[in-house]
Parts: sequence; structure tokens; C-alpha cells
Amino acid sequence: MGQQQSGFGGRGNDRGAGDGEKKEKKKYEAPIPSRIGKKKKGSKGPDAASKLPAVTPHARCRLKLLKSERIKDYLLMEQEFIQNQERLKPQEERQEEERAKVDELRGTPMAVGSLEEIIDDQHAIVSTNVGSEHYVNIMSFVDKEQLEPGCSVLLNHKNHAVIGVLSDDTDPMVSVMKLEKAPQETYADVGGLDQQIQEIKEAVELPLTHPEYYEEMGIRPPKGVILYGCPGTGKTLLAKAVANQTSATFLRIVGSELIQKYLGDGPKMVRELFRVAEENAPSIVFIDEIDAVGTKRYDSNSGGEREIQRTMLELLNQLDGFDSRGDVKVLMATNRIESLDPALIRPGRIDRKIEFPLPDEKTKRRIFQIHTSRMTLGKEVNLEEFITAKDELSGADIKAMCTEAGLLALRERRMRVTMEDFQKSKENVLYRKKEGAPEELYL
Amino acid sequence: MVATTQQTPKEADKKKADDKKVPEKAEPKKEEMSEEDQKLEEDLNLLVQRLSEPDTTLYKPSLETMRTLIRASTTSMTSVPKPLKFMRPHYNKMKEIFTSIVAPDVKKLCADIISVLAMTSDERTDTINYRILGSHEPIGDWGHEYVRHLAMEMSEEWKKEGTSDARKAELLKLTQDIVSHHMKHNAEVEACDLLIEIERIDLLISYVQEVDHQRVCLYLLSCAPLTPDPDNIILIRTALQLYLKFNRYLEAVRCAIMVNDIPQVHQIFAKASDPLLRKQMAILLGRHQIFLDYEGSADSDALAELNSNAHLYEYFHSLARELDIMEPKTPEGIYKSHLEHSRPFGNSAQPDSTRMNLAAALVNGFVNCGFGVDKMMAETEEASRWFYKNKEYGMLTAAASQGLIWRWDIDTGLAQCDRFLYINDDYIKAGTLLAIGIISSGIQDACDPASALLLDHVQSDRSIMRVGSILGLGLAYANSKRETVTKNEERGVIFELKKVLSDQKPSAIPEVKGLAGLSLGLILVGTADAEAAMEMLQALMDKSETELTDPNMRFLALGIALIFLQTQDKSDVFVESLRSLPDPFGAMVSTLVEVCAYAGTGNVLKIQKLLHLCSEHYETPAAEKKTAASRGPRGPAPAAATPARPAAQPGNVNVAGTPAPTGTPAVAPAAPRRDLPGAASAATPGAPETAAADATPAPPAKPDLSSQQAVAVLGIGLIAMGDDIGSQMALRMFGHLIRYGEPVIRRAVPLALSLLSVSNPQLNILETLSKFSHDSDADTAHNAIFAMGLVGAGTNNARLVAMLRNLASYHYKDQVSLMLVRIAQGLTHLGKGTMTLNPWHSDRQLLSPSALASLLSICFSFLDANNTILNNRQHYLLYTLVLAMQPRMLTTLVEDEMKPGSLKQLNVSVRVGQAVDVVAQAGKPKTITGFQTHTTPVLLAHGERAELANDEYLSVTPHLEGLVILKKNPDYQPVVVSTKK
Repeated sequence: MGQQQSGFGGRGNDRGAGDGEKKEKKKYEAPIPSRIGKKKKGSKGPDAASKLPAVTPHARCRLKLLKSERIKDYLLMEQEFIQNQERLKPQEERQEEERAKVDELRGTPMAVGSLEEIIDDQHAIVSTNVGSEHYVNIMSFVDKEQLEPGCSVLLNHKNHAVIGVLSDDTDPMVSVMKLEKAPQETYADVGGLDQQIQEIKEAVELPLTHPEYYEEMGIRPPKGVILYGCPGTGKTLLAKAVANQTSATFLRIVGSELIQKYLGDGPKMVRELFRVAEENAPSIVFIDEIDAVGTKRYDSNSGGEREIQRTMLELLNQLDGFDSRGDVKVLMATNRIESLDPALIRPGRIDRKIEFPLPDEKTKRRIFQIHTSRMTLGKEVNLEEFITAKDELSGADIKAMCTEAGLLALRERRMRVTMEDFQKSKENVLYRKKEGAPEELYL
Repeated sequence: MVATTQQTPKEADKKKADDKKVPEKAEPKKEEMSEEDQKLEEDLNLLVQRLSEPDTTLYKPSLETMRTLIRASTTSMTSVPKPLKFMRPHYNKMKEIFTSIVAPDVKKLCADIISVLAMTSDERTDTINYRILGSHEPIGDWGHEYVRHLAMEMSEEWKKEGTSDARKAELLKLTQDIVSHHMKHNAEVEACDLLIEIERIDLLISYVQEVDHQRVCLYLLSCAPLTPDPDNIILIRTALQLYLKFNRYLEAVRCAIMVNDIPQVHQIFAKASDPLLRKQMAILLGRHQIFLDYEGSADSDALAELNSNAHLYEYFHSLARELDIMEPKTPEGIYKSHLEHSRPFGNSAQPDSTRMNLAAALVNGFVNCGFGVDKMMAETEEASRWFYKNKEYGMLTAAASQGLIWRWDIDTGLAQCDRFLYINDDYIKAGTLLAIGIISSGIQDACDPASALLLDHVQSDRSIMRVGSILGLGLAYANSKRETVTKNEERGVIFELKKVLSDQKPSAIPEVKGLAGLSLGLILVGTADAEAAMEMLQALMDKSETELTDPNMRFLALGIALIFLQTQDKSDVFVESLRSLPDPFGAMVSTLVEVCAYAGTGNVLKIQKLLHLCSEHYETPAAEKKTAASRGPRGPAPAAATPARPAAQPGNVNVAGTPAPTGTPAVAPAAPRRDLPGAASAATPGAPETAAADATPAPPAKPDLSSQQAVAVLGIGLIAMGDDIGSQMALRMFGHLIRYGEPVIRRAVPLALSLLSVSNPQLNILETLSKFSHDSDADTAHNAIFAMGLVGAGTNNARLVAMLRNLASYHYKDQVSLMLVRIAQGLTHLGKGTMTLNPWHSDRQLLSPSALASLLSICFSFLDANNTILNNRQHYLLYTLVLAMQPRMLTTLVEDEMKPGSLKQLNVSVRVGQAVDVVAQAGKPKTITGFQTHTTPVLLAHGERAELANDEYLSVTPHLEGLVILKKNPDYQPVVVSTKK
């Protein structure tokens, strides 16, 4: 209910304000705070096509249907009315005439200046390119919602009145995070992990697709999920599958990207990330390698460490802010959950912790099946030998084995991968894993 | 009961989508199944195999095992239960097996299982069919999703064509099982949905229990405004029956008031035996301004006193003292001219004009309304000096402003007014008569002083005295059903007013007759009294077409419309009769009556019809003359003029093509969509007629739709205010009307906007009205300024006050606009911010017909403001607003132990916060948020609710608003009291 609160009669104002003394001094009243420059979420000007009303209750019931039908009826009547009017009396002539009037008022040429201060709803102080400042009028056709102190404005060349607003540039770093195309991976490409898939569906997908289930039960859906486990156990792959499955906006960022050179840029990126998520709701924010910024806090003399902590504090604030963020889900992934700050993973911020263990025999078989389904294998290849071995192979290790075996076969110009290739590739993968040899040499 | 998670239709669709992916990897997937899943699938396959074998002795244990496996399965909501998944390929085989089984009990068991499996199939009604053929075990054994699925299929089956009565009897039995299960398991909303869907909501009454009847009734009442008639009345009556079943008489009275059923109110009074409850019911009726007789009961005197609001002024003064605002304010204290933007030589250009003096008198009345003290009329000499600053009718209006000061205080007010009843000037005496009516409005004294004082002048030889007394009677007895008013004999109020309609004396000028019609409309509001309406129609029929153009005749029309306020289809016959009046007056009146009949209902069909009316474009006679003149001098001119005519012709055809409603509007919710092709088909045959019209040498006269369109715009606001969704969507519609509509429509839109948001200054509405208040069209600006006053009435909204101050600077040269700005400022500070004009009350459940009639009257007057309120004569029409002026307060009363049977005021702690919509929510959610703790008496703003802060007292009514009676809580913990001490 966005209705504006009405104040009382003003008890303090009336007490002692008797008008017995006709010569009493006229009381000064401070002007009402201006609304210009204060961007309100979802609010628009009076003439803009207003958003449709919010429909309650959220539960699936006839009342909700009736309200939606009522909105639909009005929209149909609106459409019919406009169609009739456009046929009888097209708007184009009138619009062109009005546009010409506005252009005349604006004048030519137009100067560019900066909005320094907002006095009230009709006046402002602007500065021009040559550095001079002017107290000017704001024309009524200017969209006051867009005005912010410091933004660029168009000025009339004679009296410097504000006649337009220039849009600010969008931060390209945040735009890059937004996935324009869904990843190709689906749940079918994930071997095993049935329990994990089920949990992540309940925590992320279901609240976005069926919020009424939670409403009917009287609970709030989980807000965030953290995926943890050894490296290469499918955490990122599952996140991609979630992005593929849902139509929600998917924002992906790696934790290390939040560490920026200049002070304040890291927290700013966090704010930008969540603002974009809010604007494109419903959306899913995936932060990979969260341990880059989410480690336990301790006293440090290093400026860099303190900046990382500030970035994490901003992240905590976004996760647990006053906003409900009903339509923004947060996915995190890490290899070292024990090193994370407890504040980051407490309930209310991260409601679900999903462990990704090393695969068992069945899962190994499934993973091998996925990766070798498009490979040409020799007849003598027996994958069961590797599946039943006692080595601690992760899913990524298995994928690396298959890729390595293929490369070995390619090196010798053979069109078929042999058992010997697999054995060699396994030795190489395990060697690199245990000895810590740099992996870049073999990517 | 085993909690089984069953498949929902959406998940069934998802399952089908998944099936398309499975074939490619069916083989690897099977290998990945867990051991338990493999065993389950093998077991189920084996069971199906056994059912296919000839050995019938294995059937029953196989089916029982299958049932056990299905019921025992539990899994996540995100996937299909495994037994259902594994059994899906065998669905058709199971149906074949069913047909071959012979033993009845085994057959029924099989039917039960198929019914559950049918949830995963494409057969739309198999779940119901096999359920009926089954063993009729308790319906909940298969889980909640199964019951929900049955309910979904039930709706479709019931509406299918050709369903036989025997079939319906079977379906009804199953429906009752479903409803019973839903009511027991906290799914009341779904039970209501099912019964509404099959149009048998009456069955609900026997299944509702004490613990959940509140949620059910709240849901039904929330659905009623969005349901087309007559189903909406059925929903309200069902809620009424439920409240009566559980002895919630106060809520039952509220439902009876919603449907305007006075005999039902009397019946509920007869049933209620609790004295405090009866008193609270009387208070509720008084707040709604329905005034009844209470003869025949022991506490009739006490009830009549409470219903008549006899002590309202005492409680209001108590509130004022609590808020420390008893000090009177002057108009200048409201204007605060020193804060307006300074203009060069502005002060010297402010002459002491009659308009400004009149505005000052009105503002003084509005601001100090009900307080009993002011600075302009405290002394007789000072008051007379103020009166004589005006001229003629201005003196009448200024004298009448006393009535606002002394509102609700009959004894003191009449004594004050008595000073001016015997002076020589007729205008002041007439104004004093009107003041007596204003003082008495909303209060019904047993001695009826208003009737005694005013009836003597109704038949006076001086028209000015008749004006004051007739309007005063209308305000004093609005919506009153007491014998003094309704008796059909000499000195009956209605009887005397009817005589004015047919009076032929010289003093019976059109103004007097128009006001008599308006007063009759206010007194008989919403009664559908065809006899009185017919008399008023007869008075109109006696007039010639020229006489109907008198602006006062519109008030006779308004009076007829008010009689049918919110009566819906009862007005259909009368609307047809009104068409016999000559156009454009007749068309305007019929539209007005139809609009009033559906006010506050949110009826989309009527809004669509009104929009069609607003779509028309026409040429006024002046424009026609220009067109004719331009033909003579230039040859090319006729070619240019010709295309304009086809644009007008389709409008005429549409008017003829739209048939008048001859019966009850269509009931189905899909009706609005059906009208669209109907309208299109009506427009299509218009083309030949257009061509024919073009060929005619003398084109037919083009109807003047201006007055009808203005009424239609008001009507859209009036009908849409019935529900929140409609109000918000109507804002968009008004935006389009402004963009495309004729000037008369643009003038009416500000008034319609104010109707949507009375005493509720929403930011977007304020900004829109502020824009129009600077419009180049003076009439639009005037209407917008007054609309701002209505929107902010009684709120002291600081932003609106600043806007009006800016307007005062902007319009300082225009005396009419400046007067309206002052009046709007006075309305904004109505009662120093303690009052409201909002016709809704009781948590926005009840719409007061008197208040609605008052607002409609004032907006209707402003449609023709230059001929009515702004014509230097009839400013007194502003006083019709007093019927809507109510204090927005919460005062708590308890029984006085010293004097049994009477009430005394008590200060208790209450929490006041923003109201939250809790319809159909799980559990017991909080109904307010962001609350503050106050001590009564306290002010309640728009959209706010109050609740008691502790359990020391219990309230008789669940809605804490206005006057609330409390009683001691016998369960109150004394330990807490001792701890505090």
C-alpha cells in the first residue's frame, strides 16, 4: 500500500500559536523537501503509463484470478478506446504540433551543463562549460525523475533554463556479467548429484516459478545457496544448468573480480551487481570462488586486506539488507568453506549449504559415459578398470582424463583412443594433482 | 493420514516435456537408478503382470500392495512421485484390466487406483469418473494434491453441456466430500473457490467451523466487489448467513448494510441480546447515517440515542482537547499569505472583494467545523459585520457557515442561530435556516427541531426562504427512515417536499423546485422509491424543452438519480422511462441514473458502455456555422469539409447501434470480452448508413453529447471506486480520456479523479491535478483546483498545502480561481485536519450512501460550475458536502458502573499502523505494520488500522474505528497488575 501518510493536526504547531496578538511575527516555514533527484524504485511520473496494480493474495485462488481478470478487462477497454480514437482522430498531428512547441521553447543551439544543486521543484543551480554558475528555472516538460545532483543537463542558450537531461553511461563491467545466452549445459549433463540437484531446485528454482507454495505454507523461501566441496566436483556445472533451466536473468561473477585496485571500487561493483539484479528481477546471481573475498576477518595491517574486507562487508549488507529481494537469488561456490567468515554463511543470508562430494562408483560411471559418448574408443578400452580403482578422481579429473587421452591419440595421428592412452592420461592427471605442477602448461 | 506429495497439473506437463528428452538416454538412465528404485519398479511391473493373468485370486492382494506402495511414497515437490512415474506407462493397461474385473470390491479398488493414476494422464475427467466408480474411502487418504486435482476437474465437469441431473447429484456428493476435506485442512480458500465455480456457495454454510469462519467470510467479502451481479450479492449474503450462524451479529449487520437490507438489520437486532453489542450496532448504523426507529425494545431510548449520534460532538470535543487544537483558526492562519511567492506590487493589487469575503466565510466554517468556537462570528455584532460584507446570496452563504461551526451540537447551535432568525434581512434568515439544517445533519433528535423550524418556511411566499429551508431539510434528514420523515401526511418531511414539486405559486421558481428534487434525493437515497421518482419525473415532463435548459432542472434529475443510488438492476425500468424526455436532457438523465445505480460496484460492463459514450465526437452548432460559412467563399472548401463529416457520422451510428440494456447484464465473467465483437459488429453495419447519410442533402441534426459525456466521465470514477484494482486502472483510463477526449470530458476528468481518491492525497493524483490546475482552459483549471481540495480534505497534507500556495500566487489576478484556491485550502484543513470526506468506513468495507450522494452532488454541480456554484448565487451548494464530513477518530467507551445502562469514555492504549491485506494468507498474520502506540482518542489516517495494545479490555467490534465499546476481559492476568504495582 503505497498510500501517502497523512499527518495529524500538528500538536506542536498549535500549542502557543494563538492569534491573540495580531502584530505577532509571521512564522517561517521551511519548504517541503524536493523530490527531484531521489530515484524511487518503480515510481514514475504521473503521465507515464503506470505499472499495473500489485495483485494480492499471492496464493493460488479465485480472488487472485478475479483481480487479474479485472485488470485484463480494463486493458481491453483501453485498447478498444485507443483504437477507436486513432481511427477517428489520429494523434500524430497533435503530437507533432506539441513537439514543435516544445522545440521552440527549448531553442537552438542547446548548451550542455551540469546540475550543481536543486533548490526546489522549479529551480536549480547549474554550471556551464565555461565554469559560470546560474540560478535557473527547470522547464515543466523536463522529466524530473531523471534529475540528480551532478548529472548532465541540456540548457537553453539564452537564459540557461534546464530543458533536458542527458543519461549517464552504464557501467560496462556489470553489463558483461549478465549472460545474454543461456549456457548449453543442462541437468542431463550433470552426472549423479541427484540430491544436490533436488536441493538447488527447491532453493532457487521453485521460489521463482511457484512462489505461491511458500505463501500457502506461511514461510519465506530461501534466499541464498552456497555450493562447497573439493575442486572439480561439479559446482560450476550445476550453476550453469540452473541458468539453462530457468528463464531468470543470470549474473555471473568470479570472486576475484570483486578485488579492485582502487579504494571503493570493489564495494561499488557489489552494489552495481545487486542493482542490476534487482532491476532485471527475477534474477540469479552466481558468485564463483567466493573465498577470494569471503574469508574470516582478522586484524590486518595490510591496506589491501582491509579493502577486501570492506568488499565483503558490502556483500553481507546486500545479502541481508532491509530490502526483501524476493526475486533475487544468490548462488555461491567455494572450495574452502571452512575458511569463510561465519557471518557470510549464517541462515538468513545463505540458507542452504550444499556439499559436493567426490563421486562414487555409480557417479564415476555416469561421468565417464557423458564424456566418452562422443569419442571414438578402441574395442579394448575397459573403463571399468578406472571406475573401480581407488584413486580419488573428481569429475573434473575424469573430464581431464578423457581430454588428455584424446590428445595423446591425436598426437600419434590415430583415429581411435586406446586403453594405453587412457592409462597414460590417468598417470598425468594424478601426477599434476599430487605434485602441484602448474596446470597452465597442459590447458 | 499419510502425507503424500502428489503431482500437480503443471508438473504433469513438465513430466511430458521430460519424456521427450528421455528416449535418447533411456538406456543409460535406467542403469543409474538406485537399487531401491529398481526394486520398486520391478515390484510394480510384477503387480501389473499379475493383474493381467487369469488367476483372479491374485487381483485383490496385488491391488492392495499397489495401493500401499503409492500411498507410502514421499518425495520432493520438484519431481513426480516415483510410483506414479513408474505406473504411468501402464495406465491404459490398468483401464483394460478394470473393464475385465468381475468382483465388485476388487473392481472398486482398481477404480480407486486408476483415479489416482489419472492425475498423470491426458484424460481430463478420469480422476472424477473412476473416483465415483471406486470404493468411496475417505477422500484425504490419497493426499492433498489428489483432492486439489479432483476440485479442478469438478469445475470443468460441472460446466460441461449436457450434464444430466443424476450425474450432477453424483458430482454434488463428491463436491461435498472435497469441501469437507478442504475445510478440515486449512484450505478454506480452495473450498470457497470450488463452490463459487459451480455456483453452489450456499453449501458452504454447513461446513464452516467456528475456528475458520472469519477467514472464509473475509475471503467471500473480498471477492464480492470483483464478481459480476447478482453473484456478488449472493457472496455477501452467504457471509451474512455464516456470521449469523456463529452469532457474530455486528459483522452480520455490516453485511446487511452492504446489501442495503433494512428489514434484515431489524431481524439481527431482534436476535442480538447483548446490550453492549446492540449499542455498538446502533453506533455503526449512525456512522453509516442510517437512522431507524427502535420502538418495541427495552433499550430503545439508548439505542436511538446512539444511532442518532446525539453525543458525537462531546466525543469530538474530547478529541480536540486531547490534541490541543481547540484554539480557533482564522482564514489568514490557513492561507499563510506571507509564505506565498512574493510578486512585485502584489499586495497593493488585493482589493477587498466580495468573492474573497465569501471564501473567507466558507474557509472559516470548514476549518473550525464542529469546534463550536471561531473568531469571526463569536459575537453577534461581529458576525453581522461579516454577513454584511457580502451581498444577497453571499449573505445567505456566509450566514449558513455558522452551521459548520456548531455542527452536531444541536442545543448550543440552535441557541446561537436563534439570534439571526428575527432580523430584517431575508438572506440572512434563509442562511440561518440552512445553518440549522447543517447543524442537524447526521444527528436525529427525538424532538426534531429541524423539522419544527424549517417546515414552516417550505411553503413560504418568498423564494429565498424556501431555498434555505428546503436544502436544510435535505441535509438534516438525509437517509433517515424515521416516521417523522416518512409519514404520508401534513408535516411529514417527504410529503411536504413533494408538494413543492407541483406547486404553482410565484415563489416556486426553478431554483426552488430543483432544490426540492435534490433534497428528496438526499432523503430517499438508495431506496429505489419509484413513486417519488415518478413524481419528480412528472415534474420534469411538464416542462418544455426550453425550460429544461434551466440549470436548476439538473438538480431534479440528480434527485431522481440519487433515489436509485447503488440499486443496480432495480433502476432498469426507470431508465427507459427517462428516455421520453427530450434530448439532450433526457439522455443525460438516463445516463446519470444508470451511473448512480451502479456506483461503487466496479461493474466493468457499465464502464465499457460509458467509455463508448465518451468515444463519440461531435460538432457544436458554432462549429457547424463556421463550416457552412466557409463553403460559400471558396470552391475547394467543400472538399475539405466533406472528410470531417464521416468522422462524425460513425459516432451517430454507434449511438444508434448500441442497444439499451433491456434486462439484467450478463452474469458470466467472460461477458466483457463478448461485448467487444458485439460493438465491432454494431459499428460495421454503420458504413452503409454513413454513405446514405452523406447522400442526403440535409444532414440530420447532430446530437449534443456534451452533458451526457460529462456525466459518463463522472460515472467511470463513481463505478470504479468500488475496488482497489478498478481505481488504479481507472487512472490509466482517465489519462487516455484526457488525451483523446472532447473539452467537456477534459473538464470532468479532474472531478472523477477526486472521486477515486477522496481524502487520500496520493502523489500521482496530486501531480496530475496540479498540472490541470494550470490549464489554459479556465473551467478545467477550476475543476482541478476544487478536486485538489476534495483529494486532500481533512489531511493537512503539507505537499498539497504548498501546491495550493503556489496556485494562489499563480492565480492572484483571477478572482474566481483564487476563491477556489481558498476553498480548497479550507477543505484541506477541514476540522483542523481531524475530519475526512471519504465515503468508505469500517476498514473500507462499507460505502455510506449519504456521503456518496454528497460527493456526487458537489461534483455534478461543478460540471456546470459557471451556472451553479460560481454564478454569484448558489455558493450554498457547497454545503451539500457536510453529509460526507465525518471525524476520522477512534474513541473508546465502557459501561459506566455508576450509572447502569450508559457509557463513559475511557482512555486505553492502542496501536495504530498501516493496514495490511491479509486475505487468503496462511496462519494468523499481523493486520497492521509500522505501528505506533497511542492513547485514545486518536486520529486514524487513510489506510490505517488500530488494535488494542494489551488484553485488559476486549472490543465488541473487530474494527476499531469511530466509537468503539469495550468490556473487561475476564481472563486478564492479575499477576501482571500486581507486578506493575
